[in-house]
Amino acid sequence: MVSGVFQFIANNFPQALYLTGEHVWIVGVALFIAAATGIPLGLYITEHEDIASPIISGANIIMTIPSIALFGIMLPLLSPLNMGLGKIPAIIALILYSQLPIIRNTYTAIKNVPPDLVDAAIGVGMSRWQRLKEVEIPLAAPVIIAGLRTAAVMNIGIAAIAVYIGSGGLGVYIQQGIDRAYPEMILSGALLVSILALIVDGIMALLERAITPEGIKVRKKLMQ
Amino acid sequence: MKKYPKILSVILILLLTVTFSPLAYAADKKITLGSKNFTEQYLLAELAAILFAKAGFKVNMRTGVGSVIARKSLENGQFDLYFEYTGTAYTVYYAQKDPATMADPDKVYQWVKKADENRGLIWLDPIRFNNTYAVMMMKKQAAALGIRTISDLAAYVNTHPGELEFALEVEFWERPDGFKQMMKHYGFRLSPGQIKKMSVGLTYQALKNGQVDSAMGFATDGRITAFGFVSLLDNKSFFPVYNPAPVVRKEVLDKYPEIKTLLKPLVTNLTTDEMRTLNSIVDVEHEPVHETANNWLTGKHLIE
Amino acid sequence: MKKPLGKIYRTLLLAALFIAGIMVERIGLITYLTDPYEYPIILGLLLRHLYLVAVSISFATIIGLAAGIFFTRRRFHRYAGVCMYIIGLGQTIPSLAILALSMSFLGIGTKPAIFALTIYSILPIARNTLAGISAVPPSLLDAGKGMGMTPLRILLEIELPNSMQVILAGFRVALIVNIGTAALSYLIGAGGLGDLIFTGISLMQTEKLLAGAIPVTLMALLADLVCKLLELILISKGLRLTEQNKEAA
Repeated sequence: MVSGVFQFIANNFPQALYLTGEHVWIVGVALFIAAATGIPLGLYITEHEDIASPIISGANIIMTIPSIALFGIMLPLLSPLNMGLGKIPAIIALILYSQLPIIRNTYTAIKNVPPDLVDAAIGVGMSRWQRLKEVEIPLAAPVIIAGLRTAAVMNIGIAAIAVYIGSGGLGVYIQQGIDRAYPEMILSGALLVSILALIVDGIMALLERAITPEGIKVRKKLMQ
Repeated sequence: MKKYPKILSVILILLLTVTFSPLAYAADKKITLGSKNFTEQYLLAELAAILFAKAGFKVNMRTGVGSVIARKSLENGQFDLYFEYTGTAYTVYYAQKDPATMADPDKVYQWVKKADENRGLIWLDPIRFNNTYAVMMMKKQAAALGIRTISDLAAYVNTHPGELEFALEVEFWERPDGFKQMMKHYGFRLSPGQIKKMSVGLTYQALKNGQVDSAMGFATDGRITAFGFVSLLDNKSFFPVYNPAPVVRKEVLDKYPEIKTLLKPLVTNLTTDEMRTLNSIVDVEHEPVHETANNWLTGKHLIE
Repeated sequence: MKKPLGKIYRTLLLAALFIAGIMVERIGLITYLTDPYEYPIILGLLLRHLYLVAVSISFATIIGLAAGIFFTRRRFHRYAGVCMYIIGLGQTIPSLAILALSMSFLGIGTKPAIFALTIYSILPIARNTLAGISAVPPSLLDAGKGMGMTPLRILLEIELPNSMQVILAGFRVALIVNIGTAALSYLIGAGGLGDLIFTGISLMQTEKLLAGAIPVTLMALLADLVCKLLELILISKGLRLTEQNKEAA
C-alpha cells in the first residue's frame, strides 16, 4: 500500500501541490498574525505582572478547547459577518491556539534575561526601548522562535481538521479518503502533513540557531 | 546580532509574499463554485468548473460542506454557484410538505425556482436524474427477510424490535426529509442504540461489511450495484423528487449572462445512468474526480 | 494597583458569563438539552465519549509508562533516542488521519476509535516518562543501590516518584488531546459528542453544536483540573517544595 501512496501523489500531483499550498497559506497567515499579537502581548505582560497570570491562564484555557469544537464555534460566531465558512474562521482559530506557546515563551524568555545584564544596560543609560532592542530581545529571540516553532508544528496538524468547516488544505485528502474508503488517499494526506511539519520544524530549528547571538552560542559550547 | 535584521527581513518578505500571493489571481472573470460533501456533488462541481474554465473564467472551488452550510454560503455570497436538489430546497430550506408538489419534478422545480427568485437566487435548467435518498440493504438479506419496500422494513422492525441496525450520516438523521421524519411517516422506531452515525461515505462500507443491516445512501451512487445492495421502494412517497440544478446568485448571473447557456451541456447529457457510472468510477475504481470529469466531457465532445 | 484590577477583571467575567447565558438561551440550547426525546441521546453520547477516552487513556498510560521505563533500562538505553524520534514522527500525523487509517484497517465503530486514540496518546506519556526518569540525579540511584534496594524497588521508590511531575505533565497533554480527538470519532462511527458537533456544523444548528462543543470543552478543562489534583496527591510534599524552590531561585 505504501507504493499506492506514492502512486496516488504522483497521479494527483497538481492537486496535491494545490492542497499543500492552501494548507501552508492557512498556517502561514495564522502564524504571522499570531506572532504579531502574541509577541507584543508577551512583552507587555513582562512589564505588567499583575495581568500576566490571567492572560497566560486564558491562553491556556483556549488551547485546552478541543480543535473541532473551536472550529465549530467559529461558524455561528462569524456567520453574521459572512465569514463563518472557509479559511478565515480556520485562521482565526489557529491564531487563538498559537497564543499560549508564543506569549508564554516570550514572557519566560524576557524574564530569563540575566538581571545583571539588564542592570548593566540601565547603568549604561539605555532607555526602556533601547534596552529591549539591544539587550533583551536579542537574548530572548531563540526562545521566542522556539515558541513560534511549537505553534507552527501544532497548527500544521490541527489545520487538517479545519477541512470540516470548508477551509480546504490537506485535510481534504483525509475527509475524502474516509468517504470514498480510499486508504491511499488518507495516507497521502497524512504523509504530506507529516512531511510539511518536519520541514517547517527543521526550518525553524535552523532559524532558532541563526538568531542565537554569537556570544550565547559560544557560551553554550563552553558549558558542554 | 548583525545578521538578525537581514534574516528578519527575509522572513518578513517570505511571509508577506505567502499571505498576499492569492491576490495575484485577480483575473477578469471570476467565479466561486461550491459543493456539498459527497461524490456526486464533487463531480458536478468539477464538471462545471471545467466548463467555466474553458469559457475563460478563473474558478475558485469551495467544496465539501453540508447542505445547509452550502445553502447559507450561497445566500451570503461565499459561493456564487452550486448544484442544489429541488427536493432538498423544497423540504429543507422551505419546510414544505405538499405531497402532490413533491412528487412531480416540474411542479417542485417551478415552486423552488419562484420562491428563490425573491431571494436573488436563480435556478438554471435542472438535470433530469433523481438522486433521491436510498434506504439500502444487502440484496441477500433483503430477500431472506422478504423486505422490498420501506413499509416492509417498518413492519419487520415493529415485529422484531432491537434486531436491525441502521447506518446513516448526521445530516440525514436531522433533516425534515430525513430519517427521523421517515420513521414517523412509516410508523416505526429504532432505538438510539440501533442507529449508527458516521461520515457520509462510510455508510456503504458499514453495510458492505455487515456491521449494519440497512444504511442510507444516494440513488445515483455507483456503489449500490457494485456492492450488491438493493434500494427499498419508497411506497408511501416520503421522499420528494431530487433533481439537481445549478443555483446562482442573481448579481453573478447579471454580470455573466453566459452562465445560462454554459452549463446546458450537462443538462442534456447527464442521464441517471451516466451519473451513476461517473460516481462509480470515482467511488469504486478510485479514479480522481478531475480526470473523471474531464474524460467524460471530452468523451461526449463537450470540450476539446 | 492589584485590587481594583482584580475587581474589574471579576466584573468583566461575570458580565461575559451573563451575556453568554442569554445568548445560549436564545439559541435554544436549554430547550434542546431538556427535550425529553433528545436528553437520553445526549447523555448516551456523553457516556460513550467518556468510555472512549477512559479506555484509550488507560491503555496508553500503561503502554506509555512501560515504554518509557523500558528505554531507561541500561540495556536498551541506546535505542531510546531512535525510538522516541520515530514515535515523534508519528505525532506529526494529524489525529484525524490516525482515526481514518485505523478505520481503513479495523473497520467502523468503537474498536478502531479506541485503537487510534490509544496510539495517539502513547507518545506524550512515553516521552515524558523517559525524560523524567533520565533526569533523576544519579546520586539518588546510587543511594538506593547503597541501601541495598533491588532494581524494582529503585524504580518504584526512587525513579518514578522523582519523575512524577514530568510524567504527569505528559499524561495531562495526552489526556486533553485524547478528549479532543475523541470528538472526531463520530466520523468513523464510534459515537461520542462529535455526533452533536458535526450535526451542528452540517446543519448550522447552533444548539446542537454547543450541546456537543461545551461538554467536550468542559471535559477537557475538568481533566486539566484533575491533573493538577493528581499532582498534589502523587507528588510527595518534599519534592513539590523542592520544585517550587528551584523555580523561585
